[in-house]
Amino acid sequence: MKSLKSIPAYIWAVFCMFLIPVTFMGNAYFARELAILPFMKVSPVYTGGDSIRSYKQDGMTVTINKPVFESLIGKSTKGFVQVKFSGKLPSIIKNTIDYNNDGVADFSLTINTLSNDSKLTVLSKNVTGLVVSSNVKSYWIVRVGVLNLTEK
Amino acid sequence: MMKQPSVYSTTGNLVKTLLLMIPMVLLVFVFITRGNTDFSSPLKLVSFLITFVFFSGLFFMILYTGKTNRYRAIGFIVLASFFALTFIVNLITMRGSMSFSNNNFLSCEIPFCHIVTTMIIIPAAITKTIIFPGSILNGFASIASMLVIVIGISISIGRGFCSWGCFYGGWDDGFSSIGKKPVIRKVNPAFKWMPFAILLIIALASAATLSPVYCDWLCPFKSVTEFQKVTSMEIFFKTVVFISLFAGLVVVLPFLTKKRIQCSTFCPMGALLSFTNKINIFGLRIDKDKCTNCKLCAKTCPTLSIDSNDIEKGRPSFTCTKCGKCIDKCPKNAIHYHVKGTPENKNHTLNRMLFLFPSFTLLVIFTGGTMQQGIMLLVKLFTTGSFI
Repeated sequence: MKSLKSIPAYIWAVFCMFLIPVTFMGNAYFARELAILPFMKVSPVYTGGDSIRSYKQDGMTVTINKPVFESLIGKSTKGFVQVKFSGKLPSIIKNTIDYNNDGVADFSLTINTLSNDSKLTVLSKNVTGLVVSSNVKSYWIVRVGVLNLTEK
Repeated sequence: MMKQPSVYSTTGNLVKTLLLMIPMVLLVFVFITRGNTDFSSPLKLVSFLITFVFFSGLFFMILYTGKTNRYRAIGFIVLASFFALTFIVNLITMRGSMSFSNNNFLSCEIPFCHIVTTMIIIPAAITKTIIFPGSILNGFASIASMLVIVIGISISIGRGFCSWGCFYGGWDDGFSSIGKKPVIRKVNPAFKWMPFAILLIIALASAATLSPVYCDWLCPFKSVTEFQKVTSMEIFFKTVVFISLFAGLVVVLPFLTKKRIQCSTFCPMGALLSFTNKINIFGLRIDKDKCTNCKLCAKTCPTLSIDSNDIEKGRPSFTCTKCGKCIDKCPKNAIHYHVKGTPENKNHTLNRMLFLFPSFTLLVIFTGGTMQQGIMLLVKLFTTGSFI
């Protein structure tokens, strides 16, 4: 019985022997296959969420993302909204943002792209503060803390 | 105690050793050239030749002498050293610094390290997203690519990864190999359960905060890879924590105890991979007929994976990293690699070869490229005075 069990055991051991070279040689293929699985996407907490609106203003493009209120279960009451400024950036970006598109401005930003100084002016009770403001490659990204009032 | 003659048919047998080396030499050639045999510059050729001879030589010595850990450890320490050297120089060349900024973080360009796997499982299952600022497919060490490697290695050699492929483990291994005798002689084997507690805590904390908590706060190996630029008191505190952990767990304690303290008492990835040992086909067995209960294996095991109960059961704990140190040390040759499901205490050479091929191939794959690049960087340093 033990020697019968040995046959699949040795076959499996030989398979494992080949598995390491195959894992690395076929890494690009296996990674592409793995990447199509439903959970294989980076959390909006890191990507900044999906873009919902974009418009041109003063030669630059302003892209507003869907507010991120991620939590393990359900939605969090606190989150952030990401705004991206791309195109030809002026030395000072001045912009007023209505992130929830309700016709009322929520905050305004003044960013000195040369000195990295950023100033947030809060215009709505939903807005909590500046989370991050940084140049990323050829564009500028700002994350502003916002409250998820529908979860309260 | 008199050392018994080796049980392996390759030991001292030059013809058998050379014959069994042929497939590995071919694999070494394939993986260190990576299909590119363009040796237009003499430096490339020299670094290739040194790497090729180094790995072929190591494998020859493993087979010919019958000693596994002695030569594995050399390759493993070389892996850790050259990995850190090339990684840091590449970062400084690309970014100008070892630290990453908001720029890298916001554009999701942080390389994915295997240890992050422990923190993404629960959030991936519940939120269907990966809580790491890396790229799924693009760039160096993408998330999908690293997960494929972790899965492939786990199936193939289980926690053997910790002694044959982990590019951090060599630091611990290196510092624990310095000196002949430990200054601290007794380390409670119960400490081997600590990584499981850390795994549980960081998995839950990462799920609760949707952030890789171990990477953010605890990973000692940020000292030899990359870390967050210090721009606030919080980041300064994190920096103090990871440097202290590196100094304590990777340098000082391994040197004092001659144990791989970070790997055996702190690493959550080690804990996760221990579970893969349960389903992995390769293991170690202690031949109770030969064993004289001298407990030398328990004293020398660098990961606290053997105690009196394990000797009694005839196998090390499932935390074993299959480094082979106990096999090398056992004066009665009572410990050996084993293929689960096959008769115990038989076919020692076959079982050892079946384990050595995937494990050593892994070591070559991880080390080959970095070692060649590292040699070129060192030559550059000595000839120009700069790595860059």
